[in-house]
Amino acid sequence: MMATTHAAAIVVNSSTPLWYATRATGLVALVLLTASMALGLLSSVRFERPNWPRFVTLGLHRNLTLLALAFTVAHVLTTVLDSFVSIPLPDAFIPFISSYRPIWVGLGAIAFDLMLALIVTSLLRTRIGLRSWRLVHWTAYLCWPVAVLHGLGTGTDTPTTWVLVLTACCVLVIAALTLWRLARAWPARPVASTVAVVLVVITVIAGGAWLRAGPLSPHWSTRSGTTTAHSAGASAAGYGVRE
Amino acid sequence: MTAPEFAAAETAQPPPPDELRLIAGGEPLSLAAHIHRYGPLPRFGAPTELIAEVEQSGLTGRGGGAFPAGRKLRAVAEARRRSRPGRAGAAVVVANGSESEPLSSKDAVLLRLAPHLVLDGIALCAEAVGADRAYLWAHNGSSTQALAAAITERSSARSSLLRVQVTETPAGYLSGQETALINVLNGGPALPTFVPPRPAEKGAHRRPTLVLNVETLAHVALIARYGAPWFRSVGAPDAPGTALVTVTGPVDRPGVREIPLGTPLGEVLRRSGLTRSAQAVLTGGYFGTWVELPAASSVPVSEPGLRTAGAALGAGVLAVLPDAACGLAETARITGFLARQSAGQCGPCRNGLPALAEAMHHIAFGQPSPEVIRWVQQLTVLLPRRGACHLPDGAAGLVASALRVFAADLAKHTGSGPCAHVAAGPVLPVPAAGLVVDRSAP
Amino acid sequence: MSQRHESQSQQSVGRLRRPELQVNPIACEAHGICIELLPELITTDPWGYPVLRPGPVPLHLQDLARRAVADCPTLALRLVTPD
Repeated sequence: MMATTHAAAIVVNSSTPLWYATRATGLVALVLLTASMALGLLSSVRFERPNWPRFVTLGLHRNLTLLALAFTVAHVLTTVLDSFVSIPLPDAFIPFISSYRPIWVGLGAIAFDLMLALIVTSLLRTRIGLRSWRLVHWTAYLCWPVAVLHGLGTGTDTPTTWVLVLTACCVLVIAALTLWRLARAWPARPVASTVAVVLVVITVIAGGAWLRAGPLSPHWSTRSGTTTAHSAGASAAGYGVRE
Repeated sequence: MTAPEFAAAETAQPPPPDELRLIAGGEPLSLAAHIHRYGPLPRFGAPTELIAEVEQSGLTGRGGGAFPAGRKLRAVAEARRRSRPGRAGAAVVVANGSESEPLSSKDAVLLRLAPHLVLDGIALCAEAVGADRAYLWAHNGSSTQALAAAITERSSARSSLLRVQVTETPAGYLSGQETALINVLNGGPALPTFVPPRPAEKGAHRRPTLVLNVETLAHVALIARYGAPWFRSVGAPDAPGTALVTVTGPVDRPGVREIPLGTPLGEVLRRSGLTRSAQAVLTGGYFGTWVELPAASSVPVSEPGLRTAGAALGAGVLAVLPDAACGLAETARITGFLARQSAGQCGPCRNGLPALAEAMHHIAFGQPSPEVIRWVQQLTVLLPRRGACHLPDGAAGLVASALRVFAADLAKHTGSGPCAHVAAGPVLPVPAAGLVVDRSAP
Repeated sequence: MSQRHESQSQQSVGRLRRPELQVNPIACEAHGICIELLPELITTDPWGYPVLRPGPVPLHLQDLARRAVADCPTLALRLVTPD
């Protein structure tokens, strides 16, 4: 626990750096996860260029996922260590048991669990066989949007313009690449591909609608489960809590 | 105690005459007639006795692979020993009479005329490898009822713990392939699978599986009665025993006949009534190779003998090509058939065989440029050993031998287009384009 | 290491059965990553499918071979020690 002083009006307590760290590592993890997912999609459409062979896509996909994991672990640790809001370690693995914004933190736990499953099965791919690996790897399509929703739902910075723009970019990239991947699959599996395209479009629209009605609307922090104790403590510490 | 002494002690049964070991005559042998001719089913003290006898006999597979039968038996027996004790780990015997090769009829003839020899072989091998069940696959079109009746005849004559199930092999050139049959037994389609795991280790129902051609099994039944030295008393030192061959073409007496291995090709054809001159013989079947006549007349008909001429005995087919026919045209038609029969599972075959067929078609029925001929030669080197089964190998080998044996025709086609004989065909019967491999699981 | 010394030690290693590349042609879907990673040992046929150079994998390429096996999207490529 460190005690530092900053100038000006902000009353510092030991959780300030951790709180910033949580938000920062969370955002960076999201960007890295998006990049990894994008590369995974590029791999599935067999993207290659004369100076960009397939093994580069695969290698980057693997390394960026591990980097995303590192930042996610940092994100989890800073959250747990931050004494300002009580989120003990189990909350990071077991969804919906948290007292703080249970649904949205819970989504983070789900995304984290899925990430771990994706990585472990990939490391053991030659041992568990292709079919099991593939089955688990399909959950990447669940992991990423859940991570995005977690960020939007819990994120203090969600209403900030640059965060919204960043998130929108991530969503656009993944949506576009997913549609490309579905277009490739369409000749062999027309019905499944069409259904999936419809799902993607519905998800993006529904997500946007939820964003407007939820995190971007007033009183979100109360509705999402930030208790008055948290809010009171925050204003006592001098944070402006967005209402 | 080795088999001959044991059998001799039980019944002093003389062995059959050398040229008529497998097939007595034109009528099917009933169980009684079978026992009268060959004696009862011999019993062995230990399973390894039979395996050792078969190993010493030098019997090789008669289904096309020519793999030493004794070694297969030993491999399966050993895998069975290592597997779970009791019925859970028992081995499986697959008797392959599928005969998917259109030019061959020896297995159908053997199953019709001497079913009990084959069934004896199945019973003996089952005991030797520790199998509790056997599957007898017969060619679609064969009489499975007659075979089922023969099985019933045996089980009512003496109690047998071995369950033998007779099934018709699905249509399709590849359906009778070793791993394809096992695939069907495991609930999949009649298409080859990738090896490993080897059938001897993990085959039908994940158990050690012995797959032998029905003719091979018939020879085992004879070796068990009369011993390895008797088996080796005819044939060649590097290819002992007799074999069934199917002779087709412009001969007076076409059909299945039993020959001592190593008999010169010219002699076999003469006995089949080849009187006119002929230009070539297709040995082995559609996945076989051409040899030139009269140059190859002295080539011994056996696996090692034909190999010296760049050919193989394969399924024992000897299809004679008359002078008034075009070998390139026949080859083109066969290659087209083989391409249509591809399982479509492996890229090199799925892509390469149609390309090979198209190029051969151009060579046979058009005026090929040197580029086309070079492309075909490239393909014959590019395709072998890159599929899960040997279909691409067979097609490549067939085409390569055609370009070699019919080099003069090739020069003629290149210079002035298809020769007159192209229109004389087809001489070799190629099944219609509509023959399709059933890819769905049964 | 002098050339003669190196070839002698390579010979003695060769007697320990060295691994060979093998591809399951049914599983192979011509992604071509193995061809990118191991051009010394694997070339492409006209349709994008791998053509393996026969024989054992040289020592200096074994790490790359293991990576190619791990990277194959359909796990069609294998390293086997012949028995």
